[in-house]
Amino acid sequence: MVPTVDLDSLPMGPLSMAGLLALEPAELRRLLKSGLRRGLSSDDLQALLEQDWQGGLDTPPVQALLAALQQRGWFRRDGDRWKTHLG
Amino acid sequence: MAHILAIHSFRGGTGKSNLTANLAAAFALKGKRVAVIDTDLASPGIHVLFGFTPAAGQFTLNDHLQADASIEQCAHDVTPRSVQQAHGQIWLVPAAMDGDRIARLLREGYEVEKLNDALFTLSEKLKLDLVLIDTHPGINEETLLSTAIADCLLMVMRPDSQDYLGTAVAIEVAQRLDVPAIRMVVNKLPELFDPQQVRERVASSYGVPIGALLPLSDDLLTLASGGLAVLMHPDHPWSEQVRGLASHLLETVL
Repeated sequence: MVPTVDLDSLPMGPLSMAGLLALEPAELRRLLKSGLRRGLSSDDLQALLEQDWQGGLDTPPVQALLAALQQRGWFRRDGDRWKTHLG
Repeated sequence: MAHILAIHSFRGGTGKSNLTANLAAAFALKGKRVAVIDTDLASPGIHVLFGFTPAAGQFTLNDHLQADASIEQCAHDVTPRSVQQAHGQIWLVPAAMDGDRIARLLREGYEVEKLNDALFTLSEKLKLDLVLIDTHPGINEETLLSTAIADCLLMVMRPDSQDYLGTAVAIEVAQRLDVPAIRMVVNKLPELFDPQQVRERVASSYGVPIGALLPLSDDLLTLASGGLAVLMHPDHPWSEQVRGLASHLLETVL
């Protein structure tokens, strides 16, 4: 089942670890957590999205999710890695 | 890439730093390249166990988080001779000890993401096998990050009712952050406590595997942070248990 996220309800502004901890659903926390450490390669991200969100990078729901996260400055591609950014 | 081991406790006084330093020595005695990061920036102290005090001009973690020092400049080789003979190596990234620096850090804060990047940069530059993070007790932004990026979280507690309650909170947080492995360590276990009963209470309270039950020890109290028990008292039951914990972690989760 594809996780449901009301993208409009995600708070604007920088992401904190406390904020990450409070996010729902678990798949969203897992995505952002996976972008910590060294970040994710595109292949790693693709695999995670297919496992948790039943869609790859090119599917409209996933693209909308990534756009919402990028708009907030939480998760974006830096060079060849996808990284979570904390404020 | 190095494995990250976060050593955490919900309350202070659990012996977390002492365990971290001795675990680092136990890993290094197995030939591992280990870094210990003192992220207990508000109340640092683990450097004492390694007999290290930053001299004037020697950088600390604060110099990386709040200034321009590279993280490699903040890492100091503290490998004891007996560990060198075992072909292991230990680097310490200490936190600043003077009151002005601690106050500045508390007043101004720092970008917690910089700590994340520093750990992985150091891991690559020094070709580390393991990074041990000695965290600040309780829950704050830094401890949440350390928990989130850990390959394994060691939760240290005493057999004390307040510790049982607080530890439950910290474990709930770790599980919400999908930490791949969690191990409990009960430290300072009085001789009159039945280890099996404690083991059962911990197991039933948290549903998390127990890494070690470490005895309360007059010998360690006498050592008074003046050195590493696994090196100075290698045959002591506490030291044997710590070496056993290191072996267990290497075999199962690291």
